Amino acid sequence: MPASLLGPYTRTILVIAILAVALAFALSNARVEVHGNLLPMFEWMETTWFGYIGKTWGAAFATVEAVHLLGLALLGGSVIVAEGRLFGVFLTDVKQGVITARCNRTFNIALATLIATGVFMACGVALKIYYLPVYWYKMLALGAGALFHYLVRQPLVERGPGEVNPWLLKLMAIASIMVWFTVAATGRWIGFSG
Amino acid sequence: MLNEFIFNIAVWIDDTRWSAMLHESYYMYNWVESTHVLTLMVSLGILFLIDLRMLGVALPDVPASRIAERLNLPMLVGFSVMVITGILLVYAVPVRSAQSVWLRIKMVLMLGCLVNAIFFHRQLSASVSSWDNEPRAPRKLRIGAMLSLGGWALIVMCGRFIAYDWFDCQYNDSELLAVVAGCIDGQTRF
Repeated sequence: MPASLLGPYTRTILVIAILAVALAFALSNARVEVHGNLLPMFEWMETTWFGYIGKTWGAAFATVEAVHLLGLALLGGSVIVAEGRLFGVFLTDVKQGVITARCNRTFNIALATLIATGVFMACGVALKIYYLPVYWYKMLALGAGALFHYLVRQPLVERGPGEVNPWLLKLMAIASIMVWFTVAATGRWIGFSG
Repeated sequence: MLNEFIFNIAVWIDDTRWSAMLHESYYMYNWVESTHVLTLMVSLGILFLIDLRMLGVALPDVPASRIAERLNLPMLVGFSVMVITGILLVYAVPVRSAQSVWLRIKMVLMLGCLVNAIFFHRQLSASVSSWDNEPRAPRKLRIGAMLSLGGWALIVMCGRFIAYDWFDCQYNDSELLAVVAGCIDGQTRF
């Protein structure tokens, strides 16, 4: 029995399917409809405990913001070191697989921290961010980054040495750094908007 | 005396053309601030990985000396950008920055972290050959790594708190806080 119904290209087909759905969503009226339908959820978010704490205690909100930044720093460090190794800049005398696997662990912890603190912060300012285009750009970048990391990058770096064209790995490293810095930059820009 | 001196310098900077231009430029100021925050991902991110390696949490099977030596340069490049953009941010809003209790605490913590880093590197250079491949560093280095992690976490918090006006001079009733923040007889300017 085959390991997958889609053969050896499961992830590739999955990524293309997700991209096709995302493109169709972006170009159709569904995007506007979904945005409108999400309003009650954002209104509800402000009524939750997270929303109440975020709006009432500025110090709590600011502290969570700082933890969010610490998570961002750890995520950035993990990405820079792992992609730097793939690009052949850092730690070239250490096995590529060791660096990417270890950095992936810290990356996962950092991403979990960012999402947890991000949800708290979003609850505190839910209606503000709902109307901010840059918030949706950030969510788009975050989704693209997570899909890219787990469905494209990880499967490729987990292959043995010599199985993947080194130039492909280098291009992937550049793409990874760019996507995560875009996530961070759009996140920072939320603070300047509205 | 010292607070008045700092205040006068801040007022002088505030009156310069470039300071006003940077403060008033929506995009330039925000780009500088964004760069300051985004460089966290390079400088502090790499520093965290080095410290976590010493604690045996991150990259435990990579020799500690390699992590510390090879990642030192990109970390310092990141820190340099962060310091330059940080100075520009203070230059753009000098009076409020000079009277910010959070910025003052941040500066003291940064000094503490710098001293800790010097001792940490000395200790690392002196002892690394005996434990380089061990997953955890010796106790003294682990303490140094924990102090570094804690110190920088507090620095990031103070940096974030600067944006809030809780203890700004015009809202401040405490005499102690007024002295620590450098408030001068209710004189404030933005």
